[in-house]
Amino acid sequence: MTTYTVYKEQLPELFETWSRQYALYVPGKLREGFYDLVPWKKGQEIAWEFDVAYNSPKRFLLPPKEALITFNRETYEAAPVFEAPPQILFGVHPYDVKAINQLDQLLESGSPDQNYVRRRDATVIMAFEPLTVSPPAFWASVGAASVAHGYDLYWTKIGPASFTVEVGSAKGEELLQAAGTVLPSTPGDKEGARRAKARILAKARRNGLRYNWEETPRLLSKCWDSPLWRRYSQMCLACGSCNLVCPTCYCFDIREEADDALKKGVRTRYWDGCMLESFAKVAGNHNFRPKAQDRYRHRYFRKGKYIYDKIGELGCVGCGRCVRACTAGIANPLKVFNELWEETAHEY
Amino acid sequence: MSTKLFSPYVPRPVTLVEKTQLSDFVTRFTFEQDNGKPLAHKPGQFVNLSVYGVGEAPFSISSPPRRANITFEIAVRRIGAVTQALHALEPGAKVGLRGPYGSSFPVMKFVGKDVLIVAGGLGYIPLRSLLFYQLRHRDEFGRMVLMVGTRDPKERIFVDEIADLAASGDVEVLETVDMPDAGWKGNVGVITTLFPKVDLDAANTYVAMVGPPIMYRFVIGECRKKGMASDQIFVSLERKMKCGLGKCGHCQINELNTCIDGPVFCYTDIEAYQEAI
Repeated sequence: MTTYTVYKEQLPELFETWSRQYALYVPGKLREGFYDLVPWKKGQEIAWEFDVAYNSPKRFLLPPKEALITFNRETYEAAPVFEAPPQILFGVHPYDVKAINQLDQLLESGSPDQNYVRRRDATVIMAFEPLTVSPPAFWASVGAASVAHGYDLYWTKIGPASFTVEVGSAKGEELLQAAGTVLPSTPGDKEGARRAKARILAKARRNGLRYNWEETPRLLSKCWDSPLWRRYSQMCLACGSCNLVCPTCYCFDIREEADDALKKGVRTRYWDGCMLESFAKVAGNHNFRPKAQDRYRHRYFRKGKYIYDKIGELGCVGCGRCVRACTAGIANPLKVFNELWEETAHEY
Repeated sequence: MSTKLFSPYVPRPVTLVEKTQLSDFVTRFTFEQDNGKPLAHKPGQFVNLSVYGVGEAPFSISSPPRRANITFEIAVRRIGAVTQALHALEPGAKVGLRGPYGSSFPVMKFVGKDVLIVAGGLGYIPLRSLLFYQLRHRDEFGRMVLMVGTRDPKERIFVDEIADLAASGDVEVLETVDMPDAGWKGNVGVITTLFPKVDLDAANTYVAMVGPPIMYRFVIGECRKKGMASDQIFVSLERKMKCGLGKCGHCQINELNTCIDGPVFCYTDIEAYQEAI
């Protein structure tokens, strides 16, 4: 598809135009070293240098709290609740686009999750080539440095005030042209984008898996009984922070509330986490993963093997968020996978 | 048909028509579908049942598939919020229903073979749907052996029904309790103590078992001793099936979703999974 070149001075008008029809989110700096996608308003400074948004974009597609149905306790009628506000996520790094592509596959498979599907349909994703790499990130080594699809536009900063914008969808192209003419990129601009990508890739490669990521499921299948699981999990606080910040964690709990008159009510889903103690508990208090070790191992198997066996990709995109979020300092897929690799190296 | 407002999370109303107490804590509930259609389930499947304002929980269907009858049964132990609320309902009350969900016992495979049904504790509840489905076509199967194990005589459920089965001669019934009281005259011990009491044609027998988590590995061990292979063993496993759609993650057994890959598994398919048994 076509690539356009856009200049910084064109942005305010574009943002202004988009924000009339969409909730527009852009990278903003919260405080030193902390960035997130924030609602755009006039004069909002864009944090182009952001290394990672500390919240993953999953919250725009699968909110932490989302009504699923309303019910009537007298008639026992129930109706679905669908909320899908039109929104533009501007500045999604490729590893996060990859995470969204995964959520698409997992939530749309089998009986599609209609709430997710509708939100996804109403969301425009504008990817942005990173300019810096978060210290714990390792996305370049897990096949998440680039994405072939999943974005409507892909922005790459090629100079102090210029960007190339690759078109990923007709909707994206239409939005790009919504505030006046934009010109197709020259060969020189395209070369500039290629060099920008190469530059960040070189930086990102400084931190990585010591083996080909596609070996991870095979590696894990040998490591169920590794002492590593206990070594790390004995410090686990079972707080679920790693689940919360993970862009590919989508497990949820369902709870409900009735109104004061006990006539009507809402059933709501909330984010849940497999690291929480009660996650696999059933009636009568039998817990199928009673120990932190069971839960910790489950999470890494899910990221490194179970998801791979379903869709052929790692369930970890290497964003490094869990590494930063973990109070006990034990959430670290890179360290875990590399150490398991070392442990079993003699078997290769 | 408009699918615009379809969501798999929306239950449909069903009406409670009968409530029968089975023991101090267990009650059988018979429901009728408000849509006037049979539930169209297969033996071993489950439904997600809602008491609005309290919550939703998965329950095994206890009745056999019924072609023209719009009722179905579940049997429930009063133990948590939803089951407590269910017990408070009286006939005429409505609940919400999603499903049936999940895999079922492969009854066609059992045709012409002997079938051993091993029910530990509340395990008899889901196995009933298989048992009575087979009894409806009794001639199509060989021997039918039912083993029932209960913690103590007070907790036995479907007592008269099981006695009738034994008396009918259609099913060979063996029963045991772990902790007998003064009045108990039958076998004493865990369910595996029933295995030496029965001769099975191992090569020609399929096993279906449901019980508490601890039971499976020991009963499977006994089946092995009798010479049965993994592909002759079918288990139904309990997990927290919250969404029923393979999405919410609570019922995972390694990479399997119990709600869509199970709850009924052939042992061959789960032998390699460390979290299964």
